[in-house]
Amino acid sequence: MIQKKVRRAAAVAAAFAVAAGPLLAAVGCELNDPDRDVRRLFPGSTGFKTIFVSIARQGGEPLLRKIEDRLGDKFQGLYETADVPYTMYQVFKGNELIGYIHGVNQKGRYGGIQVFLALDLEGTIRTFYYQKLTNREAKLLRDPSFGRQFVGLRLSDFDAYDPVSGAARPGSKVAGIKNPAAGAEDDFKATLRAVKKNLILCQVFLLNNKWGRVPNSPECGTCPSLFGS
Amino acid sequence: MKISVYQVAYKNLLRKKTRTALTILGIGLSAWVLTSLFGFNRGYESALNKDIDNMGFQVLLTAKGCPYEAATLMLKGGTGLRYMSESVFADILKNEEVEQITPMLMQAVFDPNKGESGGISAYLGIDPATFPAMKSFLEFRQGGWFRDPESREAVMGYEAAELEQREVGDAILIPEMNLEFTVVGVLARSGTQDDGTIFVPIRTLQRDFGQEGNVTAVGIKVKKEANIALLENKLYDLPDVQVVSMAQVKTTIMSLVSTAKVMVFSIALIAILIAMLGVINTILMSVFERFQEIGIIKSMGAMPWDVFRMIWTETVILCLLGGGLGIAVSFGLAKATDLLIRRLLPYTPTGSLVAIDGRLALTTLGLILVIGLLSGIYPAWRAARVRPLESIRSEGD
Repeated sequence: MIQKKVRRAAAVAAAFAVAAGPLLAAVGCELNDPDRDVRRLFPGSTGFKTIFVSIARQGGEPLLRKIEDRLGDKFQGLYETADVPYTMYQVFKGNELIGYIHGVNQKGRYGGIQVFLALDLEGTIRTFYYQKLTNREAKLLRDPSFGRQFVGLRLSDFDAYDPVSGAARPGSKVAGIKNPAAGAEDDFKATLRAVKKNLILCQVFLLNNKWGRVPNSPECGTCPSLFGS
Repeated sequence: MKISVYQVAYKNLLRKKTRTALTILGIGLSAWVLTSLFGFNRGYESALNKDIDNMGFQVLLTAKGCPYEAATLMLKGGTGLRYMSESVFADILKNEEVEQITPMLMQAVFDPNKGESGGISAYLGIDPATFPAMKSFLEFRQGGWFRDPESREAVMGYEAAELEQREVGDAILIPEMNLEFTVVGVLARSGTQDDGTIFVPIRTLQRDFGQEGNVTAVGIKVKKEANIALLENKLYDLPDVQVVSMAQVKTTIMSLVSTAKVMVFSIALIAILIAMLGVINTILMSVFERFQEIGIIKSMGAMPWDVFRMIWTETVILCLLGGGLGIAVSFGLAKATDLLIRRLLPYTPTGSLVAIDGRLALTTLGLILVIGLLSGIYPAWRAARVRPLESIRSEGD
């Protein structure tokens, strides 16, 4: 009798949900399944820690300006703003920090692109991963051979890339990245911009760099914060 | 120097700091549970009412079997959706209780590019002539509703647009069907399920998905003062449709939640009883420990009522401090309680589930105070009955 009541209630609640419209996943750029994804991106890892940061909270407008200068482009539109929360994953093997994972949202031709990078402790790309991409030729961009072109690159390599013109300095490593999808040039350029932005954010918030380290992170210890918080 | 009864009571409590602190903590925990529970009692119903009001219609008609479609949508990617023919509109409109109807068509497609192994993208086809009028509370962050009821245009809910990084003028693609839509409007955050919805003109969706003449639901706005129950009974006679009354949805959800409420209220009652016993124990111990002292006070001229008042005041202080602590904690942890409830309950409406305000806090404090005063009667009465000579003599025993 109780089971019947509960089933009926669940059915009506389901109808209510359908009637009210579909709910999408929470907005943000987090790994869909962190336990599974971290193990896949860092085979041999035993755990991870998540930290949450934002440009607005850690450094505000001055930090945003620095990031935009390094990116070579302005943050644009309704959604690329200083208060976007970034979820960063510190990956551990036992107690040892072995790397980082971070993803960013990037406006694409037909929808949001989510580009994740797995980095080693020096900030070098180990793995490139599209968590979300909508394009007629998405299959070509999602092919592992495309992602492998990013392996071994670091932020300094992307200084040769101008996201506004979409051009890379001839002879640079970034210039060597080939677009496998001729019909998806917009999303190819958006991807390169996303990777550069991602690397800058990792540099700012995770790595030992001129802007400082993220407060309270294990590698930071008691280092002074330049973000004023 | 004249010392007030309040000062004496306060100083007495400070004599055994740990015991006093633990008693206050016990009362605080009870007050926290009680305030959160009262807040939940009010917040859940108000959030549910808001969700139902925000739907814009009071009755929803779906194809038979549709209450299970949410699961179908997730498991089969919408391939198992059931449809009603548009011919049902005439039958609905025959009823004098009906003010307006709005047809809806939901379509879901598997998007292989969502996540690691793909995901479902859902689109809600709506009638631009009737739906916006029913949902007049929806505001736009950018743009507006469709300009042409047969166009490939889309209006995106706030969260859907943010996830897809879409603005007015941007395109969205349904890859499996190779269909492109232009975003003409982005809704402001409404706090409802509309935030996660992608709306497209129903005619376009019917045409593109080969569902001409079919809908998955019809929202019915009932005339004010009309008898909804009577209308529902008439609608039940229509073949192959299911009537979902929002009032029924509310009653069913509330009855489901009431089971949880009864359980938590029982726990709260036990917590209050334990706190009451704690208060009685603390004050009674304090009375026994001060047996001689109370005797001396009485021998110096204090009347039984003075002693009674002193002990009762100690109870009041304990209850006020404990109640205040519990209420402060319930304010501070309201969001965490909200999150916890969302994890525990099978369905929760949008909006705040725990509504705590000053009035509720004062009511709880008053209740705690009454319970405390009741608990303090026996120890205070025992203290008032102490005979001065007996108590002083007992010191030498």
